[in-house]
Amino acid sequence: MTFIQQNGSTMRFKPRWLAALGVIVALALTMSACGEGDEGSDDGGTTSESEFPAPTSAPEGAQEGGELTVIAASDVDYIDPGAQYYQFSYMVSSATQSSLVGWAPDDVEQPTPLLAESAPEVSEDGLTITYTIRDDVMYSPPVDRAVVAADVEYAIERSLLPGVPNGYTQTYLADVDGIEDAVKEAQDNPTGGAPDISGITATDDTTLEIRLTDTSSIGVIGALSLPVSAPVPEEYAEAFDAENPSTYGENQAFTGPYMIENDAEGALTGYTPNKEIHLIRNPNWEASEADFRPAYLDEVTFQEGFSDTVSASKKVLDGSAQVNGDFTTPPTAIKQAATEGEEGQLTLTPSGGMRYVSLNTQLPPFDDINVRKAVVANANRVDLRNTRGGELTGPVMSHILPPEFPGFEEAGGLEGPDLDYLANPEGDPELAADYMREAGFESGQCEGPDCEITMVGDDVPPGADTAEVVASQLEELGFEVDYQKVTHDVMYTKFCSVPDNAPEVCPNVGWLKDFNDGQSMIDVTFNGENVVPENNSNWPQLDVPEINDAIGEAKLIDDLDERNQAWGDVDTMIMEQAAFIPYIWDEQANIQSADVAGVINKFNANWDIAFTSLEQ
Amino acid sequence: MARFITRRLLWSVLLLVIVSAVVFLIFYIFPTADPAQLRAGRQANADQIEAIRESLGLDKSIPEQFWIYMKGIVTEFDLGRSYQSNAEVRDVIFSDLGPTALLVAGAVVVWLTIAIPTGVISAVRRRSLLDRVTMITTLAFISAPVFWLGLVALYLFASDVGVIHIFPGIGSYQSADSFTGRIGALLLPWLVLAAATAAIYARYVRAQMIDVMEEDYIRTARAKGLAERPVILRHALRSAITPIVTLLGLDVAVLLAGNAILTETVFNIPGLGAETFNAIKRSDLPMIQGITLFGAFFIVTFNLIVDIAYAYLDPRVRYQ
Repeated sequence: MTFIQQNGSTMRFKPRWLAALGVIVALALTMSACGEGDEGSDDGGTTSESEFPAPTSAPEGAQEGGELTVIAASDVDYIDPGAQYYQFSYMVSSATQSSLVGWAPDDVEQPTPLLAESAPEVSEDGLTITYTIRDDVMYSPPVDRAVVAADVEYAIERSLLPGVPNGYTQTYLADVDGIEDAVKEAQDNPTGGAPDISGITATDDTTLEIRLTDTSSIGVIGALSLPVSAPVPEEYAEAFDAENPSTYGENQAFTGPYMIENDAEGALTGYTPNKEIHLIRNPNWEASEADFRPAYLDEVTFQEGFSDTVSASKKVLDGSAQVNGDFTTPPTAIKQAATEGEEGQLTLTPSGGMRYVSLNTQLPPFDDINVRKAVVANANRVDLRNTRGGELTGPVMSHILPPEFPGFEEAGGLEGPDLDYLANPEGDPELAADYMREAGFESGQCEGPDCEITMVGDDVPPGADTAEVVASQLEELGFEVDYQKVTHDVMYTKFCSVPDNAPEVCPNVGWLKDFNDGQSMIDVTFNGENVVPENNSNWPQLDVPEINDAIGEAKLIDDLDERNQAWGDVDTMIMEQAAFIPYIWDEQANIQSADVAGVINKFNANWDIAFTSLEQ
Repeated sequence: MARFITRRLLWSVLLLVIVSAVVFLIFYIFPTADPAQLRAGRQANADQIEAIRESLGLDKSIPEQFWIYMKGIVTEFDLGRSYQSNAEVRDVIFSDLGPTALLVAGAVVVWLTIAIPTGVISAVRRRSLLDRVTMITTLAFISAPVFWLGLVALYLFASDVGVIHIFPGIGSYQSADSFTGRIGALLLPWLVLAAATAAIYARYVRAQMIDVMEEDYIRTARAKGLAERPVILRHALRSAITPIVTLLGLDVAVLLAGNAILTETVFNIPGLGAETFNAIKRSDLPMIQGITLFGAFFIVTFNLIVDIAYAYLDPRVRYQ
């Protein structure tokens, strides 16, 4: 039974402390010993998101002015919008830059035009995308001029430079005409300026045309909703981009309502890596109907370095004018917010992320689908979720595409596809034994040298806790598990993401959407054509030709309904391979001080500082 | 003396080279995350990663990388750029040194102010109730881990997360916009950082004082009719404190080298310790290397200063 189902619609008539009590009970249950089930109290369904809803609009008469402090544990990945590829970084750039289209707080399926006047037009043959750029957007000082379409072209082209380590352009813009030549040009001459992508042309100051070699416009449009399409003035940036790595990020020009404080030359004085990002109003930005951001606050300071997230959360909850930044609120703080906090101090939002235990389909014994099905059937996924904090951290995952995401319902909704080994989130040992027998293990237990397996996982909780539970569940099926503990980054860059070194089991992998389209959840992670020698994200190394073909076809569908159905179908095909143990669709718990009227951006699952205000 | 200092300086340079080489080797021998992959992002392809590896100089052999690094230091005092933020390591270290130096300086004053009188009184009033209470208290502080003590202090006395709002809270150093504000923000960290060290020093001073008080020259001073106070303060303490100076030199150097990591992390003070913590988390070799070198430099320098101070404090050293 889920938290929502436990309380039902009558909750609104009950005193608030009853809701809080419910949260404590849920926490107590979910934080209890991992080896025990929840005695039927939890079918792994939806969470208490509706108890702690995410506000997606500012209150009536929201107050103008004031300073907000964002408390963070670490820094942005990059300050350069061309390279940013991280939720926390988007929190900054969504307020300081204007990409072609952006994600308004309640946008779930499609982004809203921002720098573009309207949604992009796709030609009938699906091979040309045209953006019309607004002519009233100005750069911050010292650039002080209007944005033109050529600036967006330059922004995209510079993202191919090795000195601007963009992690997604080449993936999603792979079908843009001329991109391969441009990539080669950039790599041959990394400090020779941004390469020309022949398929991207600014035909005049307000028109940007993108020509494709295939009908993959939705993926391209999705990628261009990210900060890479924020305009960059070439005449100003080229000197910085001639360095490798580029230093444009530390000298960038802004087009959003806020800017990072800078000096007369444009050098950022308001950014100290790992310490602070100080935003002030951009004097050249004017509110208009074309820009959906109201920008209530006068200043925003991102204070970084709060490694102890328990203290940091307490500081936010007890303090004034503060919100959490990059860290997930720890269970103790969630409890405090739920029980002692004022209404609205805690919000829960689906993050569009998933966590799973990867089974290496290229190595025995997991090259046998029946062994994999046995492992998935035996897994108590509720226990695995408990290691991350329990019910409040999100529903138990039953397939790939997460809640509130296009294709989620098509893939089976919360219950997931009709597969017996996924039917019981608390595990089905008998079914597991049956599958082991089908795999040739008469005893129903894994036997022989192939059953001595290696697992490489995190060396610290909560990942290490998850790995311990995975190991014990595998041992129940007769496996002998050699659990190698390493840091999270080492786990990826030396083992799980390097197929030659990949162990049989990677218990701590996960994926977060790039944008709201099935391609960003499925293509890199489960397409056999994307298994690469390093930085591989298809951790199970799943390589099934039918699935690869289906992914290839889904990417080219430009009708949204058809596309969502196609991705839902691909999702089911992948789940039929039992290549991993799915255990959680992450929900992001965000907290704010009592005097903050925070607005959550659903796309980013974090506070939208361009909509957040202080209470009067 | 000049020859002595020259010889020590040459040894110091050699030591710094060895330290750098060891850090380099450790980074490559033990499994650390690949900085090029981390920088490239999760969807980067092999060519992109290779290009980044090239731009960071990671495609070169280890000896070649080491040679380039050392050459940069010697010719331009260039400690390289952070893999993570692209910032100049040298600039980051200098900017972080201020908060760390202030933290350490204040803590030193606090711990010496507490430790020396406590140690002396305990030694002079040996086996008294005061002595026993003092020694038990010091034992308690020595046993308390700094991060635990820091968190307890915050939860009790910090203005943001504490029960009794006395001291500025977590991160207040960063948000302070004046020198006095920063000093205020450091009061609690000073007490926490000084607590364990003060306890160790108090016990050490006590032990030294007990030894010295039994020396012949103390008996002689008393026999000459000197009052007890000058005997203790002028003769006994001056002699007893010499080993403390050695200890102090090393402790200060080690703390300046980033070893105030726990205090800085708990209180979110943007110093070298916090920087070290971040660099290790992100496999940021240039930053780790720079801070380690800087720390080694401090330790070597303070050792030299201690040797010179020894000669000043203890006439016997001068005569040797």
